Amino acid sequence: MSTTSRIADRAAALPAIEREDVSLLLVLPGLFLFAAFMFFPMLYLLGISFTNARPSNLFAGGSFLTFGEATFVGLENYATVLADGAFWNSLGSTWLFVATSLVLKIGLGLGVALVVTNRRVRGARFLRSLLIIPMGLPAIFTITIWRGIFSSAQFGLANQLLNWLGAGTVAWLNERWAAFFAYNITEMWLAYPFMVIITVSALQDVPRELHEAAMVDGAGYFARFFHVTLPSVKRPVLFASILTAAASFQQFLIPYAFNEGGPARLNELIIVYGYREAFQFSQYGQGAAIMLVAVAFIGAFMWLNVKKGRLADGVDEA
Amino acid sequence: MSLVSLVAEKIADDVRKVANTPRELAVEARYAVGAYRRGELSAVQIGRTAGATGFAVLVVALLLFPIYWIAMSAISGTGGSVYAAGGFSFFPENPSLQPFVWVLGDLIVPGLTISVNVPFSDLALVFDTPEIAFLDASDYGVDNPSNFKQYFVNSVIVSVPTLVLAMCVIVPAAYALSRREFIMRRKVLFGYVLFTQVGGGLGIASLIALYAMFVQVGLNNNRLALAAYYAATAVPFNTWLLKTYMDGIPVSYEEAALVDGAPPWRVVTEIILPLSAAGLATVTIFTFLTGWMEFVVAQTMLSADKFTLPVGLFALIDEYSIPWARFSAFALTFASPVMLVYLFAQRYIEGGLSFSGMEG
Repeated sequence: MSTTSRIADRAAALPAIEREDVSLLLVLPGLFLFAAFMFFPMLYLLGISFTNARPSNLFAGGSFLTFGEATFVGLENYATVLADGAFWNSLGSTWLFVATSLVLKIGLGLGVALVVTNRRVRGARFLRSLLIIPMGLPAIFTITIWRGIFSSAQFGLANQLLNWLGAGTVAWLNERWAAFFAYNITEMWLAYPFMVIITVSALQDVPRELHEAAMVDGAGYFARFFHVTLPSVKRPVLFASILTAAASFQQFLIPYAFNEGGPARLNELIIVYGYREAFQFSQYGQGAAIMLVAVAFIGAFMWLNVKKGRLADGVDEA
Repeated sequence: MSLVSLVAEKIADDVRKVANTPRELAVEARYAVGAYRRGELSAVQIGRTAGATGFAVLVVALLLFPIYWIAMSAISGTGGSVYAAGGFSFFPENPSLQPFVWVLGDLIVPGLTISVNVPFSDLALVFDTPEIAFLDASDYGVDNPSNFKQYFVNSVIVSVPTLVLAMCVIVPAAYALSRREFIMRRKVLFGYVLFTQVGGGLGIASLIALYAMFVQVGLNNNRLALAAYYAATAVPFNTWLLKTYMDGIPVSYEEAALVDGAPPWRVVTEIILPLSAAGLATVTIFTFLTGWMEFVVAQTMLSADKFTLPVGLFALIDEYSIPWARFSAFALTFASPVMLVYLFAQRYIEGGLSFSGMEG
């Protein structure tokens, strides 16, 4: 016991910087950096959303963090945006995309994870390390590959597959739902490694005895899957699902690189919609309003999930 | 040095394991056949194992097919079979590495003339270094090589400061979150966990404001300002990741050092940092890649002469026709080092991402 008290003595003798609450100082530089480039622009964005900012007036004669010669228009941008059918179409497409891609991601992730953790599979570790390569690739690289796969021309891989199956070719990126389907497949491919990693580590934590006990009781493969495997991996998979749902909601690169959310702005997911409104149609004020509405939606979604899904439990115990 | 040698050791270990895999499988197969002959193993069981393994291999092959496809189109030359009207074939008819030559362009170290004035005299020593040509693109019929080298330099100018700045704020924060108790600790940690996935989209959402701010201070088209932004976006995920690695170090090590009279800073530099080497390596890779792979913000902020590699890659795509062989070669030259690094660092990445640190 003497060692403990000696440590306590030493701790008491530590210089101020080493004492407990002062450790916050070690975290502050990172927090400050993050806030400077994340929350601060968000506040400025809020300001921009109340003005009629365009590149011509926002950058005229102003200095840092002013609104240049842009004038205050109150809630006009929000009124314009909320009255625009294109906005609601975009928001609807985005939530639909979240729902469909989430189902695909969980399905593929869980399926693949079950395959590569099966104890009959030899070299499973090796296969798993190959499997999650897509996660390590630059997103713009993988997305442009998939754009090539869904190329409308005859040589696009998807069309070659259709030809091989005896169907005709599809102009993937020129039809609304075909393009939407292509987005989903690509998103599924981009996100499956994350789901696989989390599901595999959860599956490996399922006690062998549970399965053996179920087998002794005569449970078949599917019965064991639904009554033993699924309940054990539910929470990690739920957590991963919420995070990837948030990622889907903010998907930008796939629609942007495929066909800029086309055809004819029909598939512009919300972030693409705001981005194009601002940078291609020079409507900074309206773009800002759209982005903030999107942030509000995703914020509410995350907050609900954290509260209802009790996601914070794990961290709060820390 | 210890970090480098540790990484080298792990890589050698991985290579050995991969090289050994076929041998181990052969041994196991021979054992299985022997057990079958002796009647210890039924044909059904062997068939099940073989079937399951075959199925798993098939699943992996299907999922990775796009990467194979892009590799084949990179070597298929201009009239390669991958895009022939006749349909897909697994290997191009006339493979050619010419697209890669186009990507790299000339690799020539120009001859230099170095003259040194001998002090207190009129004499000068003049050295002529010979021109070293590793690769002369025109030898292979490439006249207008890509801007790959220029983009590469730009990417390095962005990524290295990103890495340095990010590590400076991440390492102390991860240490504090892992080892100290202080006000706001849980809130910070939980916020960081949430921002791991949400951060990227928020970045694009606030891009309008960010762009306006950068323009107002004249920092758009500035690669270092972009690096600071990337470092900021890398903070939540990497701090949290490094913290989970540090959590794995037994507290008793520190206590022992404290009892032996080591000052706190030595506990950090000689116990915590060396023991979290794997985590440091992973976080180094991730923060470097933040700057290396980001596309949207770079495209908005930078003008053509300062494009980074991802923006340069996307610039190759024309609205109506994509020069597939060249595009694929460019993409692979850009992505394959990343892919290799990732493959070797994977076990740490996997360990960190498995959310085992959530409870810690």
